[in-house]
Amino acid sequence: MSQQTSNSPAQDALLRASIDRSLRHPVMFFFTSGAAWLAVSIVLGVIASAKVVSPNFLACSSWLNYGRVFPAHVNALVYGWGAQAAFGAIIWLMARLSRRACCAPGVILAAGHAWNLAVSLGVLGILSGHGTGMPWMEFPSFVWPALFLAYTAIVIWSLVQMRVRPGVSTYISQWFLAGATIWFPWVLLTAFALLHCLPGHPVMAAGINAWYKSALLLLFFAPVGMGTAYYLVPKVSGTPVQSYSLAKVGFWTLAVIAPWAGMQKLAGAPIPVWLPYVGAAATVLFALPAFAVAGNLLTTAFKAGSDTIAHSPTLRFTIAGLFGLVAFGLACVVLNLPESTLPLTQFTLSGYGFDLLGLYGFFTFVMFGAIYFIVPRVTLREWLSRRLITTHFILSVYGVGAIAFVALFGGLQQGIGQEQFSMPWENAADRAYPYAIATTIAWCFILFSNLFFFLHLTLMWLRLGRRSSHPTLLDGGHGGNPHGPEGDIDNAGPLHSH
Amino acid sequence: MSEPLNKPDLEDSINVAETHDRLVRQAAAAAREKSLGENGSQPIALWIFLPLAVVLLVAGLVLGAGSGYFSYGSTFREGYVRAKAPGEENSGPQPKPALAAYSAKGAKIFSAKCSGCHGSDAKGDGANYPALIGSEWVLGPTERFSMIVLNGLHGPTSTGKVFGAAGMPAQGGGMTPEDLAGILTYLRNNLGNSKGDVVTVDMAKAALDISGKRKSAGKQVDADELKAEHTKDLPGDKLDPATLVLPGNLAPAPAK
Amino acid sequence: MTFRTFLLGLAASFGIAWLSVVVVPFLKMRDLQPIVLKEDVDGKDGIYFPKRSGRVANGATVYAQNGCYLCHTQVVRPTYAGNDLFRADWGGLKDAGDRGDTRRETNAYDFQGEKFAQIGVTRQGPDLSNIGLRVENAYAKNVSPEAWLYAHLYNPRADVTRAKSNCPPYRFLFEEKKVLGNRSREALPFESPAGTEIVPSAEAKALVSYLLSLKKDDAPPASLNFAPVKKK
Repeated sequence: MSQQTSNSPAQDALLRASIDRSLRHPVMFFFTSGAAWLAVSIVLGVIASAKVVSPNFLACSSWLNYGRVFPAHVNALVYGWGAQAAFGAIIWLMARLSRRACCAPGVILAAGHAWNLAVSLGVLGILSGHGTGMPWMEFPSFVWPALFLAYTAIVIWSLVQMRVRPGVSTYISQWFLAGATIWFPWVLLTAFALLHCLPGHPVMAAGINAWYKSALLLLFFAPVGMGTAYYLVPKVSGTPVQSYSLAKVGFWTLAVIAPWAGMQKLAGAPIPVWLPYVGAAATVLFALPAFAVAGNLLTTAFKAGSDTIAHSPTLRFTIAGLFGLVAFGLACVVLNLPESTLPLTQFTLSGYGFDLLGLYGFFTFVMFGAIYFIVPRVTLREWLSRRLITTHFILSVYGVGAIAFVALFGGLQQGIGQEQFSMPWENAADRAYPYAIATTIAWCFILFSNLFFFLHLTLMWLRLGRRSSHPTLLDGGHGGNPHGPEGDIDNAGPLHSH
Repeated sequence: MSEPLNKPDLEDSINVAETHDRLVRQAAAAAREKSLGENGSQPIALWIFLPLAVVLLVAGLVLGAGSGYFSYGSTFREGYVRAKAPGEENSGPQPKPALAAYSAKGAKIFSAKCSGCHGSDAKGDGANYPALIGSEWVLGPTERFSMIVLNGLHGPTSTGKVFGAAGMPAQGGGMTPEDLAGILTYLRNNLGNSKGDVVTVDMAKAALDISGKRKSAGKQVDADELKAEHTKDLPGDKLDPATLVLPGNLAPAPAK
Repeated sequence: MTFRTFLLGLAASFGIAWLSVVVVPFLKMRDLQPIVLKEDVDGKDGIYFPKRSGRVANGATVYAQNGCYLCHTQVVRPTYAGNDLFRADWGGLKDAGDRGDTRRETNAYDFQGEKFAQIGVTRQGPDLSNIGLRVENAYAKNVSPEAWLYAHLYNPRADVTRAKSNCPPYRFLFEEKKVLGNRSREALPFESPAGTEIVPSAEAKALVSYLLSLKKDDAPPASLNFAPVKKK
């Protein structure tokens, strides 16, 4: 999209900067509290994984029982980290792409606090034994209306911005993000109404819950990640999107396919028999937009040259996320074949690994890329330490790669054991054991990486970042000197002291 | 501040040096951004089509494995019949020797209907309830025995003693031929009795028939009626006690 | 593409799927009619309504709150969807005495009394559709079924046959009570400080009552009976 503006580049930059500054409070809040929830979730994840390996670990407390810690971990990851990172990206990207400053940052910030409060109450509710027992919806039922209201107060402004944007051309990211912001409440309200408000059949309730979980992954986190990636890669690499028509095809295939997915989790359960097949087929077909987006953006990025990729934290993380998207698409195909792999993997670690591949391997990495891009613009400070970023990157990639591999391959192993009906049950459990150990270790790696990240982000939030006009680049950018060829240009100015 | 430079295409408010200063201070990051360029209109590369085609193919196969689309009536596949476990034999109820199968059925009836009065060892209590072990009427002709079980008994038993004025209440209500055959066989072959024969379901059906056709149908039998009219074995083919039958309905097990 | 076209396209693409896969099945399944049994076809008259004894609602809540569904499933899949029916004691009992082989698939009438069928997430532990049958017939040899389940919940690895179990201990479902006179009948055979015994709390009792009610091997009506026809 060419800059359709009569502004000179300088005025344009000032406009963009003012948009950034208008959003600084809500965006920094979402990213920082999101990162805090990410750390909390990973700690809970480490505890949960450790309990699979050694069930008597921390068995003293009812709050740390596996059946409570694991749902708390998942829900904190989804609603505490995932949703808030998405909100930060959505409001910033929509504002920039609509070229309008945010008019109600205070409202968004308050709603963000409300969201956090609701999620905290929800996680505490699960840990104290008041979970609802519905996967990915374990928050006690009073939390959902609060989440919905907070959500509306956060994103309505972005949709308004898009509606009243000057000019008619729209960039592909806006379609993805607008789609996500409309799909999410529709899905949330459906699940809340049909599972908590209206009486229904118990097995169909389980089916709708499975649909909700898939819809969150494929119709909220996936499009937000895709839209963000479509912005970051061309922006940072300077090359235009390889094939814009493929991008539009990717969006509409996602829109048409993803709402059908989810019921394959209930294959074999007494719901209308074709629902799991349609769900499996739709999940397999999700690989279409996944490969389309990843292929499009990876070719775009590699055109920019490996130097740019190596030096930019944003690009590194986003490209790692795109590879995660490819892996996720592959998993969609491989895990959901009803005659062969679906009966094997239906009730194994594979489900967890699949969710993590989408949530962490793709979405979270793209969000990290977005955070490394957005935060300096919003705080007027550059990242403090190349090493912190590099450590974050390497440990995360190793950790997530290990979890994905372990959970997918280990899940197949576990499933093969489960289906061997003439062997005693201990066989299946034994097969999964080594993968449980590996998962715990991988989560520990990720925990360390995110502690570095959270520390770094908090320092930025506290405005302790580098005052410089040169970005923090990795791997010897600027000839190894982060202060740039002319030396550091202190962006606070010689006469300023704040 | 340096002097404003006069540039015709700049607004008055834009002072280049001041702008540069502001840019560096406030918009450094935004200023150095590249713009989202013209969108590429490269044709979609051929190598992308291959995985997309494979995905479409796989999804088609998945859909093909299902059936009954958009019909909400059935929660199971059309024409589904449970498959046999690979390598496993017929997993129906395991056939047992007739004596054991009939006795197993009779044991349940005994503990439900008989042991309450006659005792769990069927030896009675000497005063109110007669012993069934070693009893002439239990071990004798089966028609006589069946009449007592179905209709109850009034008056003296085979030993001549009277056990209680009311006698034994009828036990035939709701009894199926399998139940009757089971209890008769059980009492004749367990707990100390060992007659060695099986009262079959057909014989029990005949007993129910005879019991219904009694002159005083509906009333208890007594020793006189038994001696006069029910002195034979029940009609029906004898069954070798070792024959294999299915425990549920006591039917002969199908030949392998 | 204008914003309005976009919204219409979104509503259409999402709406059709939403209606087909979520709303219509939801409405149809909540109106599921009980099956009327007929003598000549099903062997008896009446209505097919699998009864469940025990405190189903309370126990199901404890089950949900403590995450049992994360490691245990409650679905016996038909043979085209999995090998569950080939196990000797998951869908019922392979040899249930008189009734013979009572194993069957889970059907839509199996979750009466529950708001949310706990189909389950993974199978770290075995399927629980017929756990009531298994405990009564196979596990609880010298103790009552309730006692076996209490002991399993308190310390799953105490039973030597379960030494490798991953099941977490649910000690918080039990209480230490002072022994007044004789030990109570429900006391668990585990060590506790002198003068006290370990007894199940109300939650443990509800959960165990719910688990023992899980017996889904009743004879299904002819329309749900998928057993291969025996050739006589």
